Amino acid sequence: MAYAGGLNNPTARDSAPGPRFFIFAVLSIVLMYFDQRDGWGERIRYVLQAAAYPIQVAVGSPRQLWNATSELFETRGSLREENARLLKREQELALATMRFDALEEENARLRALTGSLPPLVTKSQLADVVSVDFGKQRQRLVIDKGDSAGLYRSQPVVDANGLVGQIVRLGPWSAEVMLITDPSHAVPVEILRNGTRSIAVGNGNESELELPLLPATTDVKVGDVIVTSGLGGVFPAGLPVGTVTESKRDPDEILLQVRVKPRAALTQDHQVIALWFDPDHPAAPVNPALARDLPDAPLAQPVLKPPSGTTPAPARTSAAKPAAAKPATPTSPLPAPAAPATTPAPAARAPAAPAAEAPDPATAPPAAAEPR
Amino acid sequence: MLGAPRESPLLVWMTALIALMLTILPLPRILSTVWPNLLVLVVLYWSTMMPRAGGILIGFLGGLCLDVLTGSQLGQHALALSLLCYLAIRFHLLVRAKPLFEQALFALLALGLYEAVLWAIDGFSAQGTGTWTRWVHVVTGAAVWPLIAGLLGRLHSPR
Repeated sequence: MAYAGGLNNPTARDSAPGPRFFIFAVLSIVLMYFDQRDGWGERIRYVLQAAAYPIQVAVGSPRQLWNATSELFETRGSLREENARLLKREQELALATMRFDALEEENARLRALTGSLPPLVTKSQLADVVSVDFGKQRQRLVIDKGDSAGLYRSQPVVDANGLVGQIVRLGPWSAEVMLITDPSHAVPVEILRNGTRSIAVGNGNESELELPLLPATTDVKVGDVIVTSGLGGVFPAGLPVGTVTESKRDPDEILLQVRVKPRAALTQDHQVIALWFDPDHPAAPVNPALARDLPDAPLAQPVLKPPSGTTPAPARTSAAKPAAAKPATPTSPLPAPAAPATTPAPAARAPAAPAAEAPDPATAPPAAAEPR
Repeated sequence: MLGAPRESPLLVWMTALIALMLTILPLPRILSTVWPNLLVLVVLYWSTMMPRAGGILIGFLGGLCLDVLTGSQLGQHALALSLLCYLAIRFHLLVRAKPLFEQALFALLALGLYEAVLWAIDGFSAQGTGTWTRWVHVVTGAAVWPLIAGLLGRLHSPR
């Protein structure tokens, strides 16, 4: 470049890439170094994610355009049909909620709490899925809401059927959701039928979870419903996770091989819901580890303040609530299995409390299973 | 001007942007396994044909976009694509004159190197190096090279 005749002399110009490549390579390696440690890398990514947001929107737009146009051309007949279907569904849900209210009342009395419990989900935010990644190594969604909508890191995300995952990266207008089927994701769960606790681990297949830590003698049947146990401090208790599709006992193995099909329609979701919880509710997630490790205000606000000024949209809250709390309904009048673990939560909510790590099922026998 | 086409940075950056979008397109699982990394192919093409238009900068920025949009480690794709860019610029006179078939072989080599760099970084950072399926796009990428080269060639020197 410094040469006067540089443009006409190809060799002068072509020898330049060496040093420039060196600079870019060093820059990349520095970026990688910072990305490995929390803090700076997260900040750089935050800015870059904002810069790349238009691209994300542009890539997601054809599908959204298609959805919009197909909505436009929906016939009267199909709309009426859908309306009838939704009305019927609404009636069913109203019935379920009626029962749910009574059970909640009873549950509160059994726990000797004064008055009924506050609603677990205080606020919910609908978000469109703008891109998906269903790789063997990574199972992620990118949604079109982020920091500006008040989302926070490690926030649980659900769809109408069950647990989808948690937010792992936050941009100003977008967020990345790690799905429960991501191979590096694990959810503390319990079997709804008998309260056996375990951990559901993703294996990179979007239609399957594994429960790898159950002893061969555990009582697991095909069809058992798996819900979150409320341990671990990220997810609240009682969100539906999946249904057992296979429970195999191999005589050579000490552990049971259990496969679970996720409830949430992970591959078909166009919209997901991010949830906020009332921290005073016994089933709310406690998050001491995150409160301690991630004090960065814009990136992580894990301890949830109930939105005092902002009134949650009532329609959305009521839509999300049955999904969140439904699995608790079919239990017998026994206290919810998660109760022994989560009841002392208000006292143990101090940051010094040990993070309720996912329990080893061998050392933490299913106490709640005993009453039967 | 004989033999050397005009360099038009705008064309280079626009096609790279489109290629980036097509690369991160959400696709069904099987298709996404064989889906070639079009950004790498386009950057490779422009680096050999117009080494001055995008330079290594386009490789670095394109890679960084891939990092952010695919959520991989920051700087991983940026390093791999900068390296490819550098090599393409360094050897562009050698590759440029070759027939398409031989160019595709070079593309195969380059894509293999690209994926090897990603693979090595994954390994170093203990991210899990994945299965053999991650290498599939190397072959499909080389297979669509003549198509990409023909298309982009038509764009910058319409005949």
